[in-house]
Amino acid sequence: MDRAERLPEDLDVLVIGTGAGGAPLLARLAAAGLKVAALEAGVRHPPEEIATDEVAQAGLFWMDERLSAGQDPVPFGRNNSGRGVGGSTLHYTAYTPRAQPDDLKLRTEFGVGEDWPLEFSELEPYYDELEYFLGVSGPAEYPWGPQRRRAYRHPPLPLNGAARLMQRACAEIGMRTSPAANAALSRSQEQPGYGTRHTCTNRGFCQAGCSVGAKASMDVTFLALAEAHGAQIVDGAQVTALTVQGGRMTGAEFLWNGQLHHLGARTVVLAAGAVETPRLLLLGGLANSSGQVGRNFMAHVGVQVWGQVEEDLRPYKGIPGGLISEDTHRLPGLVGGYLLQSLGVMPVTYATQYARGTLTWGPDLIEHLRGYTHVAGINVLGECLPYEHNFLELSDEPDARGLPKPRIHFSFGENEKKMTAHAEALMRDLWGRVGARDVWALPRAAHTLGTARMGHDPQTSVVDPFGRAHDLTGLWICDNSTFPSSLSVNPALTQMALSLRTADALTGDLKVRA
Amino acid sequence: MTQAEREAILELLNSPQVTGPTRRALQERLDARFVREFFDETGFARLRAVATRLVPHDPAEIDLAGMVDHRLHAGSGDGWRYADAPPDGEAYRRLLRALPQAFETLAPEAQDAALQDVQSAHPRAFEDLLAELTEGFMAHPLTQYRFGYVGFADAQGWLHVGPGELEPWEEHHGPR
Repeated sequence: MDRAERLPEDLDVLVIGTGAGGAPLLARLAAAGLKVAALEAGVRHPPEEIATDEVAQAGLFWMDERLSAGQDPVPFGRNNSGRGVGGSTLHYTAYTPRAQPDDLKLRTEFGVGEDWPLEFSELEPYYDELEYFLGVSGPAEYPWGPQRRRAYRHPPLPLNGAARLMQRACAEIGMRTSPAANAALSRSQEQPGYGTRHTCTNRGFCQAGCSVGAKASMDVTFLALAEAHGAQIVDGAQVTALTVQGGRMTGAEFLWNGQLHHLGARTVVLAAGAVETPRLLLLGGLANSSGQVGRNFMAHVGVQVWGQVEEDLRPYKGIPGGLISEDTHRLPGLVGGYLLQSLGVMPVTYATQYARGTLTWGPDLIEHLRGYTHVAGINVLGECLPYEHNFLELSDEPDARGLPKPRIHFSFGENEKKMTAHAEALMRDLWGRVGARDVWALPRAAHTLGTARMGHDPQTSVVDPFGRAHDLTGLWICDNSTFPSSLSVNPALTQMALSLRTADALTGDLKVRA
Repeated sequence: MTQAEREAILELLNSPQVTGPTRRALQERLDARFVREFFDETGFARLRAVATRLVPHDPAEIDLAGMVDHRLHAGSGDGWRYADAPPDGEAYRRLLRALPQAFETLAPEAQDAALQDVQSAHPRAFEDLLAELTEGFMAHPLTQYRFGYVGFADAQGWLHVGPGELEPWEEHHGPR
């Protein structure tokens, strides 16, 4: 929204956050004829203003300081956060595997973790819809999960160097691989409300923003559609408080152009992500009779293995996660499992990870970085169980606005440690087979999940299976904080499916009330 | 930076191979120099000496210590810090104070030994500083030129992405 414009009034629904949680819902509600608006802390980042430079693109990330505690402190900022119209989809890799049905039934299968309060069959139609709308590029036959009812809209993107090495190494040990599903276009498509989205140029900087609109970030897909249907997006609006009167939500206060404003709405959808959502709830002491707000923070097991090969690989080229295997979806001795993916990498990301991960310095550091164009990566994304010891709380250290900084405690449990060790050994074996040298591993955790979990029981969950707050009339939550378990796949596609599902439930509720 | 290096870098940056937003970011960084504001003179001299040992570079070419000082003065951060560490500026000051007297004038081997000691005593600050210096080093157009990196030539995209499949402007950028 142009800053000279007036703020919207008389809203049916106010959405806080424009990422994979807020954006699909905003479009759905606007298309249903509701008067809706979204507040976004960050600003607009049109594709043509995106630089192919990681430092210049730091504005895509949430750079307000978060405090990382526990045995395995989670880095935020460049990883695990997002800010801007489109949220973290501006810098996601557009990796869009579906969850498998058993991902949703972890407790039933293993006796630990949590079951989701919904069935795979409830997500499936939304997956079908999303993959078409976003323009997912993927293989004709995908080897894992239930038979698809609708083919991927576009053929797979080309495989880059790391993907071809992983393909060769996996074939040697009899592991199946497949070109991955990526929400980036291998052919151009017309996008309702936006115009033509162009074919991916293999620029490889997906995690620093797409400069051609090939990647299905929310700004060039659902948010454009939402605005075409009359939704208003107020960018640069930092929400500082949720407002409540007589036991129901009335809107939100936010800083905009240096002034404190208030927007009123009959319903508020909190879609600020698994850090800012619980932070706002804890600040207001809201929706927390269960005591579960901020609890059960999860971050996927995401160990990476890197090496350098003889060939000039140019790891900045091509979609970073081009090849996948889900043959490790279930493994003896582990709760849940992981997926394996090839990894391209941008230079600054690689260099800083190498420095932090190996603590190499001096001439040895320079010598290693000199080999950047020969770097090949491979990593996993695996189940992380919810634990009592992993949680978010408000610290007593104020941020620039005088609000307490969030402190996030995170330590891997036994299962995550075993999974990391299993994955590292497998990937070291694979990279040994392609002749990689200077092989090193970076144990890490990726994505922010949990902290306002969904469930049937108001005593043990914050929202119901559709995202309605158990405790507070007029409040819905629609972001990855509601995940009861982490799933062994990247969360974005499932998050968008949940967003459409919540929008349909909310529309139904509002119709009943009218 | 030799005149030839500078010319080669600017030639590609100013060519149609590079989009406007990318060109602006890299041109600005190529000549970035900072006025000391956060550290006092002694602290800054020490920071520069540390920076050249941790990430060997010529401060006349790439002003890494100035970049750190500038960032701390501006009060910007990278979005997180270890909960058991003080804010970055204070953490770095403690790290620098823990080094022996006249660190700047010690022989390189003695400097490295002292750095190993503070790495053990101040692991968080050491890691953060190393990562910040490494970022500034790798993001600099001169480093990128010397390492033969050309991913910023973003106007056309890449037709071939397989191993060893280089396009002409990839092969020709960088030292011979």
